[in-house]
Amino acid sequence: MTWFTSTRPPRVAIVVLLLVAAASFFAYHRLLREEPAPYFESAEDHFLYGSIGTEADRGLPYWIWLVLPRVFPEYLPRPGGYASLGVLARDGQEMPIGLSKVTIGVPRVGINCAMCHTASVRASRGDVPVIYPGAPAHQTGAQEYKRFLIACAADPRFTAGTILGEIAKNVRLSLLDRLLYRFAIIPGTRRALLRLRDDDVPLTRRPDSGRGRADVFNPVKFTILGQPIDETIGSADMMPTWNLARAERTSFHWDGLNTSLREAVASSAVNEGATVWWLDRDAVKWDRTEAGRQSSLRRVMEYISALKPPKYPFPIDAKLSAAGAVTFASACARCHGAGGNQTGSVIPFDEVGTDRSRLDAWTSGAADKYNAYGDRHDWKFSGFRETNGYLAAPLEGTWLTAPYLHNGSVPTLTDLLEPPESRPRRFWRGYDVYDPARVGFESAGEDAERAGTVFDVTQPGNGNAGHTYGVTLTPGEKRALLEYLKTL
Amino acid sequence: MTSRLRAVLRALEVAFASLVILGVVWVLVALAIDRPTTYDDIEEHFKYGSIGSEPGGSVLQTVGGVLPPYWIFKSLPSICSDKLPRGYETFGFITEPGKDLPIGVSRRRRLGGDQVGLNCAVCHTSTVRDAPGAAPRIVLGMPAHRLDLQGFVQFVLDCTLDSRLTPDAIRGRLPDRGGPSLFERALLRLGLVDRLKITVLNLRNRIAPALAAELPRWGRGRVDTFNPYKSIQFNWDLSKLPPGELIGASDFPSIWNQKPREGMHLHWDGDNDSVDERNLSAALGAGVTPVTVDHDNLKRVRDWIWTLPPPKYPYAIDGALASRGEPVYQKLCTNCHGDHRFRDGVITGSQIGRVVPLTEIGTDPYRLNSYTVAFAANQYSLYPDSEYRFSHFRKTNGYANHPLDGIWLRAPYLHNGSVPTLRDLLEPPERRPKVFYRGYDVFDQANVGFVSDGPEAQGYSRYDTSLPGNGNGGHVYGATLPEEDKRAIVEYLKTF
Repeated sequence: MTWFTSTRPPRVAIVVLLLVAAASFFAYHRLLREEPAPYFESAEDHFLYGSIGTEADRGLPYWIWLVLPRVFPEYLPRPGGYASLGVLARDGQEMPIGLSKVTIGVPRVGINCAMCHTASVRASRGDVPVIYPGAPAHQTGAQEYKRFLIACAADPRFTAGTILGEIAKNVRLSLLDRLLYRFAIIPGTRRALLRLRDDDVPLTRRPDSGRGRADVFNPVKFTILGQPIDETIGSADMMPTWNLARAERTSFHWDGLNTSLREAVASSAVNEGATVWWLDRDAVKWDRTEAGRQSSLRRVMEYISALKPPKYPFPIDAKLSAAGAVTFASACARCHGAGGNQTGSVIPFDEVGTDRSRLDAWTSGAADKYNAYGDRHDWKFSGFRETNGYLAAPLEGTWLTAPYLHNGSVPTLTDLLEPPESRPRRFWRGYDVYDPARVGFESAGEDAERAGTVFDVTQPGNGNAGHTYGVTLTPGEKRALLEYLKTL
Repeated sequence: MTSRLRAVLRALEVAFASLVILGVVWVLVALAIDRPTTYDDIEEHFKYGSIGSEPGGSVLQTVGGVLPPYWIFKSLPSICSDKLPRGYETFGFITEPGKDLPIGVSRRRRLGGDQVGLNCAVCHTSTVRDAPGAAPRIVLGMPAHRLDLQGFVQFVLDCTLDSRLTPDAIRGRLPDRGGPSLFERALLRLGLVDRLKITVLNLRNRIAPALAAELPRWGRGRVDTFNPYKSIQFNWDLSKLPPGELIGASDFPSIWNQKPREGMHLHWDGDNDSVDERNLSAALGAGVTPVTVDHDNLKRVRDWIWTLPPPKYPYAIDGALASRGEPVYQKLCTNCHGDHRFRDGVITGSQIGRVVPLTEIGTDPYRLNSYTVAFAANQYSLYPDSEYRFSHFRKTNGYANHPLDGIWLRAPYLHNGSVPTLRDLLEPPERRPKVFYRGYDVFDQANVGFVSDGPEAQGYSRYDTSLPGNGNGGHVYGATLPEEDKRAIVEYLKTF
């Protein structure tokens, strides 16, 4: 009896302990436990849908992500859900291209490389689009996507009641999950998005990037690199990511600010929110070859190294293009041809004369900081630098990299061969119907205006001057050169 | 206080507490019950069984469903009798003798009350008559060529929001016996009607642009499959869609003989090649949601239509003429449409079930353009986190070649139902009827189709081929054949 009474308090304690343990396990299970990222057998699918580690820090809980366009359609540019932001989808895949889904506690949605490096092209309005992985995502509003999420979080209707009500139309969550969403995940997501808004505030004072462009480095510069907030504008065209192992590809980004492909890939993942510990884990797997256990970044790197630029899908006048090849050899090949002695090198600003905002946005101070960011980690960066100009990229798949120049300020190749004062001053970016006559995407007219965002060359950072090579060619030579450029 | 009084108070307390507990249990049990009215006979199940399209979720925040609770649904025609002189039959609903609800309307106990929903039969059952005086023959699985679904939806929405619809008006129309349960009566007292009106107002606001007066009406036998879907499932603001995208009305199809169709491009534009996924998508149109759908009941329907034979042509066929038509048809049509053996599952023709580009087929473009790339992208998240998640939808660039089994019952023809009879379809577009009437069920044996003009037919939906989405151009195959061959092909098609 004494034994019984004496153990009574411990019994209560055991019950309490068990309850606490169960609650802790549930909290761990639903908030922290990371399941292996879904494995995609093909390298292309991995590029389009695979995880590059951005879910833990920036990942949005899937169910919240799913319903936000339905709860807050007014913050999207037009009906269509995420597709209205130019986010692409293909082949019945659950996730759109460029968005990965990984369970960390609950399923979360992160961004991957394909968000900014996959293009959609249509031959005409009624046509079914062709998706080109690795091509610049000229149709995608990456900044709009982020700002849509921020706008939702800033809305007073971003409440557990509203969001759970919409989720309930799609799935039956258990009572425990509903409680967790109500009291932890939804308020936590809101706070995280509002912190993202705080980081974004300095960037809202600059012109919007619009479709197909991104200011990749300023957000990193002001946050993890701890640089003072400046007024520079870093918006630039999304770049093609194909054939990146070829000999002339010795530096990366428009100004060649890094000289290592592996670092360019890994730092891009950091820019989108990949965490240090995820990079550590991925670096450990670098040399593994078993399916499902490889390094994600290495798979991406190998994919974009081997990816071939897509061929021009419309008819080409062979005779005309042969004539254009001669013009190209004399007027362009030095900087843009295979084996040209300047091809792949940085052309000083004083020579190329294009808009200098993007160049000024990256500094040696930021480069030093980024090189120090991975100190004591396997993946430590060392290739960041400041340059004095823009890269003369080897031209390949050029037809698919419109609009042109680093800031995407010239809609078509035809326009680029005109002197700056004759190039369009205001046009629309993001419409995916191709214009074979001018070589670029349709950039004016009712449909282009509905689909895209306006680009005004008088805005800071949007200047369309410079790169006046070829503007003095005769109209006949230009036509032939354009025809030849289609073959590249 | 005396001990006696104390004992009485204590007893009262206990009684009160027990009552509260009982009340709570009663409410919880009543709300948790989810019980469809069931039918053992598969045809009865098809006509009246529930696929889960009745509202679910919670009384405070209902999920799915477009129709009001059973007792309100029953009282709408009398409350708004000015809008509905002949009850739901005005809209082409078929009510069988002795049945409580029309074909296509199911009943299910959910959220503490009797609810109604739509099922497959509402759009895929109709009637045929041999002559004006003859009795209608109900054919299961044929296109509901008489149904004015748009009129019905508008009526239900309008009448539910009508100021004459009040709890008193509903109570006044309840039967003396066999009326609603005590719980439903309590709900009626506790603001059920107000909440219903809020839900319906929200629904009406969402889909209003797709039903707007300036758009051509769907008319009998047609539905705009995807535009209401865009707003109901995804909350797209329809008023901001590009001009023209909101015009998408097309004919109801037949749903028999599905087995040989698996893998073919289904829907008019061939946007899906899975029968099961197409079925689930159609169920969304009837009002189910990923959480309220009744997969078991839907599967019964699916298994039945898998092998449901197309009804044989019941009138005389000129065998000699049909035999003359067969080789002409084989030469001209089989490649795309297969032949009479499709009803037995024999697939002929290399292009059957494939999409022909719009530039080649040349039929009206609106229906094709109402289905967009962005919409397909959104569909991939339907039925999320389940084996049913949509993955087969694709944007196409034309219209699909469909098999022609039971084609005699599938008039009017072309995806938008713009050509009243098979004989008209074999004429060049400029000689096809420019204005005709849809929804009259007397059969025209000479031309194969329903009688589409004349005093009786004119009482139904007027179809004007000059309206956007209603064009009767394109599909000119056979238009240049001699008259004899055209007649022979039509005769042969009766054997399908």
